[in-house]
Amino acid sequence: MLELFASQVVNGLAIGQVYALIALGFTLVFGVSNLINFAQGALFMLGAFIAFSGVTVLHLPLPAAAVLSVVVVSLLGMLLERVALRPLENAPYIAPVLSTLAISLIIDQLAEIIWSPEGQAFPVPFEEATYFFGAAYVTSTDLLIFGFGAVTTVALTLFLSRSWLGRTLRATAQDRDAAAQLGVRTGNVKGMAFALAGLLGALSGILVALYFKSVFPQMGLPYGLKGFAAALLGGLTSMPGAVLGGLLLGVVETLASAYVGEGYRDLVAFTLVLVFLVFRPQGLLGNRRLDALGGAGGAAGAMPSTSVLTSASSQRGAVRTLDLPPWGFLAVGAVLALLPAVTQSAYVLQAVAYAMIFALLVASVTLVSGALGMLSIGHAAFYGVGAYAVGLLARNAGWPAEAAIAGAALVTAAVAVASALPLLKLSGHTVALGTLAVGQIGYLVFMTWLEVTRGPMGFINIPAPRLAVLGGLNLSSLVQKFWLIAAVAALALALAQRLLDSGIGRVWRGIREDRLAAHAAGLPVRRYILLGFALSGVLAGTAGGLFAYVQSVVSPESFTVGVSILLLTIAVLGGLGNLTGAALAGFALTLLPELLRPFAEWRMIVYGVALLIMLRLRPHGLLGAR
Amino acid sequence: MSRSDPGSAGIPPAHAGRARGPRSQDCEAAAGLHVERLSRHFSGVKAVDGVSFHLAPGETVALVGPNGAGKSTVIQLLSGVERPTSGRIMLDGRRIDGLAPERIARLGLGRSFQTSRVFPALTVWDSVLLGTQAGLLRDGHGGGRLANPLAELAGELLGLPGWRGRRTRAATRAAAALQRFGERLWPRRDQPAFSLSYANRRRLEIARVLAAQPRFVLLDEPAAGMNPSETAELTDLLLALRAEQPALGILVVEHKLSLVRRIADRVVVLNQGRVLATGTPAQALDHPEVVEAYLGRARTRPVESDAHLG
Repeated sequence: MLELFASQVVNGLAIGQVYALIALGFTLVFGVSNLINFAQGALFMLGAFIAFSGVTVLHLPLPAAAVLSVVVVSLLGMLLERVALRPLENAPYIAPVLSTLAISLIIDQLAEIIWSPEGQAFPVPFEEATYFFGAAYVTSTDLLIFGFGAVTTVALTLFLSRSWLGRTLRATAQDRDAAAQLGVRTGNVKGMAFALAGLLGALSGILVALYFKSVFPQMGLPYGLKGFAAALLGGLTSMPGAVLGGLLLGVVETLASAYVGEGYRDLVAFTLVLVFLVFRPQGLLGNRRLDALGGAGGAAGAMPSTSVLTSASSQRGAVRTLDLPPWGFLAVGAVLALLPAVTQSAYVLQAVAYAMIFALLVASVTLVSGALGMLSIGHAAFYGVGAYAVGLLARNAGWPAEAAIAGAALVTAAVAVASALPLLKLSGHTVALGTLAVGQIGYLVFMTWLEVTRGPMGFINIPAPRLAVLGGLNLSSLVQKFWLIAAVAALALALAQRLLDSGIGRVWRGIREDRLAAHAAGLPVRRYILLGFALSGVLAGTAGGLFAYVQSVVSPESFTVGVSILLLTIAVLGGLGNLTGAALAGFALTLLPELLRPFAEWRMIVYGVALLIMLRLRPHGLLGAR
Repeated sequence: MSRSDPGSAGIPPAHAGRARGPRSQDCEAAAGLHVERLSRHFSGVKAVDGVSFHLAPGETVALVGPNGAGKSTVIQLLSGVERPTSGRIMLDGRRIDGLAPERIARLGLGRSFQTSRVFPALTVWDSVLLGTQAGLLRDGHGGGRLANPLAELAGELLGLPGWRGRRTRAATRAAAALQRFGERLWPRRDQPAFSLSYANRRRLEIARVLAAQPRFVLLDEPAAGMNPSETAELTDLLLALRAEQPALGILVVEHKLSLVRRIADRVVVLNQGRVLATGTPAQALDHPEVVEAYLGRARTRPVESDAHLG
């Protein structure tokens, strides 16, 4: 019993060492550029794949392939800084973060194109040995990971503390302007931090490939998230904290998987993150600086603001915003409702129906991320709650459509409010991490709560919507469903727009612009944040409910963190806080891939590039952030 | 550093003509803002160390002292942004230390910040309206109760007549607060706050504080960044405010002693976190120890370098 426990701990420490390496990459980059690098997971995945190609295609011995991979990925890290971040130095705070997101979308998809989306076996050139200590055991791979992890950590620490390059890096992390005054080329230092992050990413990618003896292009996201979580547990700004956080996360999730069940590994890991965000947002060894991350970093500037839309120079050009009045959404909905008169093509109607659902969903994201300024990378979970709720209410309880959709909206609002509670005091980047954890927990619940969701098998046989007000009319044809969606989406968007134009919307934007001033002005900040999440939940839940009705089958793949990231991306493209922009971008970017169907696999790359260009040319989005 | 000539006009010779002086302690023991042995330590540094004073309704007290004396920390503590290490703060007999800033604000204690905080992307008008929001939520309710969020939602979405009435009253208060600054802010009400000049941002923040109709205001260096004529304008504005609202208590932190001498009934001088002197502006500011704390030496004769004393 004790031996099993010991084996699990050793196992957890090995995987934790990998998390620690990824976390160190986050911490380094965060230190010098106050930025969470979402592309870290992509660098990690590339590290594994380049080593894989080195061994299988170039027939290099593993050590040579590993060195090649580390060098290439380090250079890519520098390139990433140069291309995606340096031009955005004076852009709004949110821009560089989203830029790394765009890069990771592009790299992940390119990897699927280059290496195929399937997982592949990673050839391990040596026999794995297992050493027993009584009943406890440790494998040679575990030892290898330990060895490399420890050596890398020590080398990195020595580099940072002893070498001049390391000193300039630490100086830049402490005070970029002062370091620049003293002659440190801070731009090069940032490049170096990204190169190191690439090095750590590649190394950890290779170790994971050895550990699981396989590589797959989607491995970046889950490991990136774990590394993220580990960095956060450690305190984001602390190097020893990152190592400690990684080891803690590894041990906790391995124990959870051993004693609770394999499905609970990630659930426990992300719950741990949420718990930390609530009780110790500065992490194990971090300092209070985390309170003033991201947007709030601007609070020290000449014009204090906590908004993610402000920039480091706190200068803003006047941004023209275009948006519709509330009735405009009703008018657009009415025009779209005429579409079935023009075409009966099921393909077109289906595509436009999904586009309208996405317009509603992105509006829900922009309400929280834009108006309230709390970046959400977890909205797919709310979308899913709405979809499953309609499934349960319509199929199991036999409710008519209007009751089922309203019920789903309310259930989702309740879930959104509950998940906002731990996020109340967070702002800037930390709130993005919190919502990320919420989104991941939601997805994992959909996957594991088999009695209700049937997990990956999907929730099936959702009946066609039945309208009680029309005497129980069954909307079984696609055209009828199309009209239902057009009506509900237009009405919901019109109400949301009215709200954003009202005093409540003003308070939301005030909280985004300067939360401290909002407190000092006597505004009940908590109440308005919860209200914002509730209403965002209503919109997302409604969208999810409509989605369930069109699909009649619901499965967790529709609600992954990847979808959440996509939603946030679209909201930014439309202009954060701008409901018209969100709806338009959501609508257009759902239809666009249909037009590009022959190039389906390029879809995410197009999104990524569009996002990069937009951040560069119009950081406030297509129709202007509001 | 701001400078104005100490010998120039703008300093009334004495304050004998002022109608309101410090009230008698006996009859107003509970009313007003009472600070008792307030301390705030930052890991060993005693930023505020056992400070006691009071601010009665209708009174204007200036908090002065050299940089690092703890003036702004006192404001942070009074408004609930920082928690005191020890001591008590009573507002009209009610203990407010430990309450959240928004609760303190709703109890009638408004404040401005040293670096003015104005909701940069919002328009001037929206920024001031936010100052009236807490009052709007409380409008028509007894006590400090806020309107139910569902009632607010329905009121805003459906434009219910009762809610529209609240909105109109709030807009009237906001307009009055903006117009107090004459042509400075009112013509710019539809511009974003970030486009305002530094001095106008200060004015905007004060307008927002006043729009909430507080009973006490804490102003943290309201004249910083203003030139002498703008400072005189602000001084007149504060004097007019006092004349209009005889029950308003004002605590002002200010380096410009010309302003302090004209508006303050009493002055509390802080140095290194402790109260060095209190009294009328003339008594407190000319106290030898105060002069020494400001200048680092005793003043022998008026010299050019005293200019910053206002």
